[in-house]
Parts: sequence; C-alpha cells; structure tokens
Amino acid sequence: MPSIIQQLNESLANRISDVHESLVQISNGRGAGAGTIWHADGLIITNAHVIRGHHGLNVTLTDGRKFPASVIAADDQLDLAALSINADNLPTIKTGDSRGLKAGHWVMAVGHPWGVQGAVTSGVVIGVGDQLPEMGQMQPGREWIALSLHMRPGHSGGPVIDSEGKLVGINTMITGPDVGFAIPVHVVKTFLKEAIGSKAATAI
Amino acid sequence: MADILQTLSDSMAGAVETVGKSTVKVAARRRMPATGIVWSADGVIVTSHHGVEFEDNIKVGLPDGKTVTASFVGRDPGTDLAVLRADVSHLTAPTWAAAESVRVGHLALAVGRPGDDLQATLGVISALMPHKEENKYFAQTDVVMYPGFSGGPLVSASGEVIGLNSSGLMRGVSLTVQTPTIQYVVENLLKHGKMRRGFLGVGVQPARLSPSLAESLGQKSGAMIVSVESGSPAEKAELFMGDTIITLGSYKVGDLEDLLAALGSTQIGSTITAKIIRGGQVLELPVTIGERG
Repeated sequence: MPSIIQQLNESLANRISDVHESLVQISNGRGAGAGTIWHADGLIITNAHVIRGHHGLNVTLTDGRKFPASVIAADDQLDLAALSINADNLPTIKTGDSRGLKAGHWVMAVGHPWGVQGAVTSGVVIGVGDQLPEMGQMQPGREWIALSLHMRPGHSGGPVIDSEGKLVGINTMITGPDVGFAIPVHVVKTFLKEAIGSKAATAI
Repeated sequence: MADILQTLSDSMAGAVETVGKSTVKVAARRRMPATGIVWSADGVIVTSHHGVEFEDNIKVGLPDGKTVTASFVGRDPGTDLAVLRADVSHLTAPTWAAAESVRVGHLALAVGRPGDDLQATLGVISALMPHKEENKYFAQTDVVMYPGFSGGPLVSASGEVIGLNSSGLMRGVSLTVQTPTIQYVVENLLKHGKMRRGFLGVGVQPARLSPSLAESLGQKSGAMIVSVESGSPAEKAELFMGDTIITLGSYKVGDLEDLLAALGSTQIGSTITAKIIRGGQVLELPVTIGERG
C-alpha cells in the first residue's frame, strides 16, 4: 500500500488534471490572464481587470485552439467579466460550495503566473466572508476568500478549487507574496444571473 | 471511502475549529487587534507582549461573539508573552502539546482571530530550538503570519496547541513559543505580576582565558568583574573587581549573555557556587542569588 504522502500526491495530481481541462488563457493585446470555462457552449468567466482596455480578446484552450472572444458583461466593482467564444462541447468544471469553506480547508489556485501555463499553487483558506479585517476597510460588504498560497500576476481570473476539485472561487488579487484573494463562486453565480439571466448561472 | 485530500482538508479545518473554541481576539493596540489563547476557564488569556500596547481598557472578543473587558496581569518581553484576565468565567482551555511531541517536518496551522471569525494558515515545523536549562522552548515554522495572528495558537494535526505564535521575536521568521515556556511565564506573571530575575550586582566584560586555563577548564573565556554594587549578593559573597567568573551554578559563563541566562533561571534566594579565577587560581565561592528590582 502506498504511503499516505504518495496517496496525497496522486489525489492532488488528479484534481489538477481535471481543472486544467476547463482552464483558458485570455490575451488582451497587451498581456494575458486566466479564465475558466463556465458553460460548454462557450461562456468564459474571468476578472474585469483582465479585459479592461483590451485591444482585441483571444481565448486559448488547453488543447491549443484559439478563439476571438466578445464581452457579454463586466463589473469592475466585483472584478468579474463574462466572455463568449464561438465553440461548443467545451469541458467545464463543477462548482463547489464556497459558503461551506472554513479556515484551514485545503485549496489550490491555477493560472498562468509570469506566462507559465497552468501553474498550480496550493495552500489553505485563511478566512472567508465580508468581515476580514484586512479587507473590511477597503470595500465594506464585499465578500472574499482569503488564501494562504503563492499567487502571482497571471493567476488573475483563474480558478480556485477545493479538495474535491470543485470551483469555489476566481482569483482576483494579492496583498503580498503569500496571500491571495478570490471572489467566492456564489458571488460569480449572482453576477451571471443578473448580467445574463438565470439560465447561464444555473446551467451547471 | 473519502478521498485522502478531502480527509486531510476536513481534518485541518476541524483542528482549526477545535482550537478556535479557545482562540480570542485581543484589542489592546491602536491598529488591528491581535489574537490570544485561553489559558484557563476562569478568564486567564495569554497573548503576545508586542500586541498589548495599552494596559487599560483592553477588550477581548470571545469565540461566541461576545466582547468582555480584560485587566492587564503582566508581560515578559524576553519571550514576547503577556497575560490578561478577562472578565468572564466559562472559557474553554485548549489541550497544550508537550514540547517533546513536536518534530521538525510536522504540519502545523497558525490560527488567528483579529476579527470576529477564525483565520488560518498552514506550514511545517522548520526547526526546534530548545534551551532546557533556561526553560525556553521555541519552534520555528514557515507558516504565514497574517496580520493580527500574533499571540494566536500554532495548532497540531491532532488539534492540540503547540504554542503561541509571535512575529515580534525574530524579523522575517515565524517563531512559536512552546508550552513549557508559556507555562513558566504565565505562572510567574500570575504570581508576581512580572518575571522575577536573579540578581548578582556585578558589571562584567568578557575576558579571554590563558591557553593553559582554557584547556584545563574547557572554555575560552569568562566574565571579568569590572564593578561590584555595594550591598549586593556579589559583595556579600566577597567577589572582587578583577575576578573572572567561569561558572555560576551549573552554567558555564563566557560573557554577559551567559551570566544573564544563568541568573534568569536560578532560583532567587538559593545559594549556588560561583567558580572564579583570581590571580591565576581557580576558586569556588558560595553566592546567595538576590532579586533584581
């Protein structure tokens, strides 16, 4: 029987290969960020700051295919944007329970830090909600997942997954080399529901 | 069977939740509050010395969301610990891990409560630095000390408290004061309101020993007495200027730090042997240790 560390490694690698399927790269003419396929018919979710002031958006899938993208909705306050590409039968990711996250839960963030494709960083949830002392004064009432892991530029818009490999948040910013912040997936659902309609938000 | 990663994840969050019942918010400084740990159910809280900037009007946020006032008991900057007494009597004390149960490489979570909710970060024990003679047990970790985590618990995989996290003792390194040291300091502060330190009443400077003495004594230097306070334990023991202290009690003394360490852990009022060099001869004198005022 493999040691517990070997089992853990196997489990981590399996989670990540699932996530990679639905991870995309978004180039905005100047630089690039990450995104997640939300719906099989070409709905992509990313950060508003990834697409802000873009000079033509292109989405590259894990299989190498590249599509021009259009913006369906963007909210600078929430730092969320929904894009559409002309493709279907795309691999998607299951959404998890971001309200059930607690301090100490295992999480992983995926993106393209410094252009490294699909790089993973793992750690734990520091805290969740709108009462985080560090963020409370900046934007009262806004909900966050604070993460103890090593996010870098290029992780923006990428997925944060829980120990089951389910999407629980979207990377949005860092406040230091070891601390990242994500938008909880229930906030993403509300954003999509209001921006596009209930069909897109509840499709998965 | 549940996946191992899920099991690990739930187990970590569970350990945080368990210790969270004994983790409090300590508001005793102008900026963000720090964290504290329940020492005993009757309201004794241990926290970091550097997180307690004012000693009046201290507020403690309990795990159940209530806020109570706390009085200041004492502090020990040497270990970065402070003790408060919260105005409450039904707190939950955690299980404290024995220093010997902690090993380099063990997973550990730092837990904080700078707000109403618990927060946590994960890391491993990087190094252990026990100084048994001085009753000082420190663990170095790679956990991220998130703002407000000072004074909070370092939690083991089994949900025990390994010690109290401090970012105030060493810059850039997360240091945890372990259980035996906390116990020693808390008991002293509760009893005396301060850390009692032994007192000898000498000024010293390090002095290199002659090669032959260095070889026969097994140490290269001693602490040469350059002043003796009148009426002090040193004067009563007939220690003179020019004497070089080489051991005090069971401690080898090579410089001022060694002497302070020896005095810090020697019982006040007890009579111990000072081994000195006077005129090239090794002498042993009984010294009764006093208390530093």
